[in-house]
Amino acid sequence: MRFSANGYYVERYVKCDCCGVLIYDEGIAVTHPTAGALLFCSPWCREWQTQKLAGVESPRIDTPYA
Amino acid sequence: MARYLVGVDVGGTFTDFVAWDRDMRALAVWKNLTTPADPTAGILTGLARIGDPATIDNLRLGTTVATNAVLERKGARVAYVATRGFRDIPFLQRGHRKHHYDSGWVRSRPLVLRRHCFEVDERLRADGEVLQPLDVASVEAVAEAIRAAGDIEAVAVNLLFSYVNPAHEQAVRARLQARLPGIPISISYDVLPKWKEYERASTTLADAYVKPVLQNYLGAMRERLDAAGVRAPVVMIKSNGGEMSLAAAREQPVQLTLSGPTGGVVATREVARELGIARAVTLDMGGTSTDCSTVVDGKISFTTDFEIEFGLPIQIPMIDIRTIGAGGGSIAWIDKGGMLRVGPESAGANPGPACYRFGGTRPTVTDANLVLGRINPANFLGGGMALAVDRASAALASVAEPLGMGLEALALAILRIVNNNMVGALRTVLLERGLDPREFALFAFGGAGPLHLSELLDEAGIPHGVVPLHPGQFSAFGFVLTDARVDLERTIQMTSTRFDAGRAGSFLRELLARAEADLAAQGHHGPLAVQRTIDLRYLGQNYELEVPFAFDEFTPANLARLWSDFHALHEARFGFRIAQETIEAITLRCTVRCATSRPDFVPLPPRTGRLLPHSVRRVVYAEGALDTPVYLREALRAGDSFVGPALVEEAASVTVLAPHHRLEVTAPGHLRVTAA
Amino acid sequence: MDYVTMNILDNTMLSICREMGIVLMKTSYSTIFNEALDFTCGIASPRGEMLSAAEFCPAQIGGLPLLIRSCLLEIPLSEIAPGDVLIHNDPYRGGLHTPEHTLFCPVFVGGELVAFTVAIGHVAEVGGMVPGGFAAEATEIFHEGIRVPPVKIKRRGEDVVEVWKLWLANVRTPRYNYGDMRAMISGVELGAQRLAAVVEKYGREVFTQTCSDLMDYAEKRMRAELAAFPDGVYHFVDYMDNDGVSDSEIRIEAHCHVQGNRLIVDYTGSSPQVRGPINATLGVAWSAAYNAVLHLTDPSIPKNSGCFRPIKIIAPRGTIVNVDYPAPEVGGNTEAHPRIAGAVIGALAQAAPQRAMAGEGGTHLNFVFGGHDPKHDEYFACYDIEVVGWGARAQADGNDATDSINGNCRVMPVEVFETRYPWLTEEYSLRADSGGAGRRRGGLGTKKIYRCLDAEITASQLTDRHQHQAYGLAGGLPGAAGMTWYQAHGRDAWQTMVEAFDKRSTSKWSNVTFKPGDRVQILTPGGGGYGAPAERDPALLEADVRDGFVSAEAARRDYGKTV
Repeated sequence: MRFSANGYYVERYVKCDCCGVLIYDEGIAVTHPTAGALLFCSPWCREWQTQKLAGVESPRIDTPYA
Repeated sequence: MARYLVGVDVGGTFTDFVAWDRDMRALAVWKNLTTPADPTAGILTGLARIGDPATIDNLRLGTTVATNAVLERKGARVAYVATRGFRDIPFLQRGHRKHHYDSGWVRSRPLVLRRHCFEVDERLRADGEVLQPLDVASVEAVAEAIRAAGDIEAVAVNLLFSYVNPAHEQAVRARLQARLPGIPISISYDVLPKWKEYERASTTLADAYVKPVLQNYLGAMRERLDAAGVRAPVVMIKSNGGEMSLAAAREQPVQLTLSGPTGGVVATREVARELGIARAVTLDMGGTSTDCSTVVDGKISFTTDFEIEFGLPIQIPMIDIRTIGAGGGSIAWIDKGGMLRVGPESAGANPGPACYRFGGTRPTVTDANLVLGRINPANFLGGGMALAVDRASAALASVAEPLGMGLEALALAILRIVNNNMVGALRTVLLERGLDPREFALFAFGGAGPLHLSELLDEAGIPHGVVPLHPGQFSAFGFVLTDARVDLERTIQMTSTRFDAGRAGSFLRELLARAEADLAAQGHHGPLAVQRTIDLRYLGQNYELEVPFAFDEFTPANLARLWSDFHALHEARFGFRIAQETIEAITLRCTVRCATSRPDFVPLPPRTGRLLPHSVRRVVYAEGALDTPVYLREALRAGDSFVGPALVEEAASVTVLAPHHRLEVTAPGHLRVTAA
Repeated sequence: MDYVTMNILDNTMLSICREMGIVLMKTSYSTIFNEALDFTCGIASPRGEMLSAAEFCPAQIGGLPLLIRSCLLEIPLSEIAPGDVLIHNDPYRGGLHTPEHTLFCPVFVGGELVAFTVAIGHVAEVGGMVPGGFAAEATEIFHEGIRVPPVKIKRRGEDVVEVWKLWLANVRTPRYNYGDMRAMISGVELGAQRLAAVVEKYGREVFTQTCSDLMDYAEKRMRAELAAFPDGVYHFVDYMDNDGVSDSEIRIEAHCHVQGNRLIVDYTGSSPQVRGPINATLGVAWSAAYNAVLHLTDPSIPKNSGCFRPIKIIAPRGTIVNVDYPAPEVGGNTEAHPRIAGAVIGALAQAAPQRAMAGEGGTHLNFVFGGHDPKHDEYFACYDIEVVGWGARAQADGNDATDSINGNCRVMPVEVFETRYPWLTEEYSLRADSGGAGRRRGGLGTKKIYRCLDAEITASQLTDRHQHQAYGLAGGLPGAAGMTWYQAHGRDAWQTMVEAFDKRSTSKWSNVTFKPGDRVQILTPGGGGYGAPAERDPALLEADVRDGFVSAEAARRDYGKTV
């Protein structure tokens, strides 16, 4: 989430490129060879999206969701 | 000659009797088994104990026949008559679900088949003005359709906005009565003159549904009493704790829906008055359920919010008794996540707790009480039924082992959980009404109430408790203490800014005159106690607060006080007021009571020797196992006092006094429990 | 774990939530609150976990976790003091849709924040382009009413008057909104008092530990349920009719990955977000998935954040299930939610056919209107919901006339409706033949006809399922579609809103003026059937025909039987 400098309003609603949740911190920025610049809320989402982009139908990821 | 006032409470398992001998100023209590197939047989058996039937002066009866007819779906085949366009109201109901996440839930069926729902042409507006006059031909057509159906036994009529203007409903009734002789007709204005058409439909249908059953039952009972020589008048106990004549009960049987448990609340009010207790909360704990209610400053709390099944409201005025499915028969079990739970499933009377030896194998609250030494296996029902400790232990073991708990630890845990469920019910009845538990006394009765009283006091934050006389027959006791009363109400729909004081005043005087006439017709001519209330809400709200007042003329000064009383009540109840807001007045209500002959409490004789326990046995408490003196209730005398641990045994119950509590015996023999 | 204390605390918190609900019901002003009960009360931890919620609206219960998250990320705990009450409705910051207002009251014990009590309620009037909040032709969030980011409406026990004034200046019915807001504040404050007493009794540490244990317990129960579904990826697609401002149908797609004791719900493949107001916010997408899963698992699992832990939801941004600012969204919570939940149920039905239910009507009908009331000389506004047929199950027919899966609301009584608003209801009935045929029949939808009585009324509607019917399962037929008809005063013909007013959609239309004598007829959709119609018990079919739930003609056509 990008707020104005004084915090009074939202300049941009920043969302995870996997699950779509709002990201209030820096998030995890990734540059994917085909999909380009991506931002994720968590290692799980980074992993899921990476595997999906690699063609895995149902990735099994053991790190926690959040 | 006729000197007995007799209260009879026909319950699911037992029929309880209380007889007050006016001449001897003596009270006798007893019970025998209920005969469900023919409840009158059980009543006659019990009455035979009195001897000469001519000595019975008056019989007061509480019954579950109406409730059971609905619950077991054994009522009449009913036809429903509605305003054109609205015959489906009983099926549409309100659209919400019992459980918010249950794809398996099945909606409650109404008490009528859709093929027996009919419509007449007429329409009123919300203010009662006639938009479309009643078309008599359409009523004739409905009468013909009902006759053609062949097997209709009762009719319920519910027209839109009849609570403001009953003319069309009354006309429909007159016409149907003429065309359908012998078929009873219930109109919603008589049964429930209040807004919300579905709730009114459901209540009116219930009245029609039980009417033929109750008319037969009450008629046959009167005949058999006459045949047995019992010529005394019979009065029925209404759901609001008042009484009604047999004739009135036949006209409006739905009023009997919650007849039975009201007696305990009425009796609590009388005992509380006797003991000088201003605020009492009741705990009527039986085998399958526990009823809670309140008495504040001599006033019982009433409600019209009752559903006999989910989505089937019966909104008659009744004592506000909250029932939870926790009782002596509640079963302890382990859920899928490994958590110990108690109830709501109950072993009931059959198979009953494991210790009854009727084949129950799952552990119940009663089994836990037995294993902890709180119930004497040889003194259950005054020794009438020996209990099996080994079976209780085996049943508890089946749950204790998977949990890795000891038997006694499990039994204590079961009691903690069931007590917490009851605390929840107690808190609900208190806190929903804005009442502070710390100002209350807990009245424990029913077979199991006194067993749990002591520990509940601590859990619920209630400072003291009372085990009244005759805790096992307390409801029947209440029946001989009830007053004759008539409750009448009328929708007025005015606001504080447009209040027609003249009209409101004449409504009020009409209600009072009618109530007095009704009482006189029932043979009550004594001094009358009158209570007036008005239902008020902020303009926009949909629920009212009932505000008492004590005047007959709505003068400006009286009205100003009424509005300010409402603001204060709203703030006390909900935490805020909206001082500048318009107030809506919905319903005027009056209750007129006439005191009837009733027992008084006779002091016990004084103690002559020292108070000694009858025996000593090992009882387990949260503090551990303790040698506990056991006293017999009949041996206690006024002024006796002792500190727990202790047990007080009587035929129909046991009082457990926890180690840190003190018990005192009042002059007529009620037990008071406080912190030591 | 101390299972006994857990049991006790769980029940105590639930009873507090119910008490809060009773205060809301009894003191609120809008009929959508006090008659329909479109609100929910809950308790949350300072970390934003949901600890308890009473049995009100599933949509709101499932929305709680995300609502609390945004609120706590924007207002640091250090700025929250005893006596504060926070308000929040912003759909783009965890909210469900604009009318849904959430209030939080912090619970302090010994100077330390131990929990929040929470109330979410649907406030009938929120400003924007139509009275009653459902602007069916909106194309921006700004058409849909006022947004309130997380702010304090009370500070240390005193009203923040500036916030009140700002909010009340932006709605058509300030007197009603004021009453509803007071009711909600009173509810959370009462709950906070009660909870503080409970925490004092048990001690903060025992309370916190027990809450943590309760969430672990709920998680364990949910994992056990999920583990019983066979592993696999289950897939289902359902459609919405249109968005009100364009004609194309909208795809809702769910892929449910069952992996041992966990579940991933992936909505990838769903339509991009649309111009009209039926986009779901992320809160709706979460809530719908939770709702579907809770309907297919043991209803006795405690409803706290623990039971949601094994469920991961992927809702790609910029789609119908996770709308990006500033697109409109008010219909997402009522219309998209049941379709999303239905897609998840449709997918998981393949894993648990005995527990599944065929498609339900899946709309709240959202008939909203307002106008000037000459009797009290003030503006009125109303949000009227209607009920639908529910889907048949393997063991039972679908329930008739029941609120769609994301709500658990009550229909407003005709007598309350006409006392408050200048309509005359001419008919309210069950729609024969609207339940999908099957071994188990789908539930029936309803029919209502309103006539405008004596004051002009401005009405709008945002509904769905005029084209795409509720699906049947296992050979059952779909339920009937719904429809809304208009009849001008003095005319015989009933027309759709497209025919009568050149609207884009029959189901989504805004600001139609009704004059005295004009009528509107609302037909609500029926539920889908379960199992082949030919397998229906002939005695049940005969009873249905005798009672008029099924016509003789439909018995011949759909069941192949002459009754």
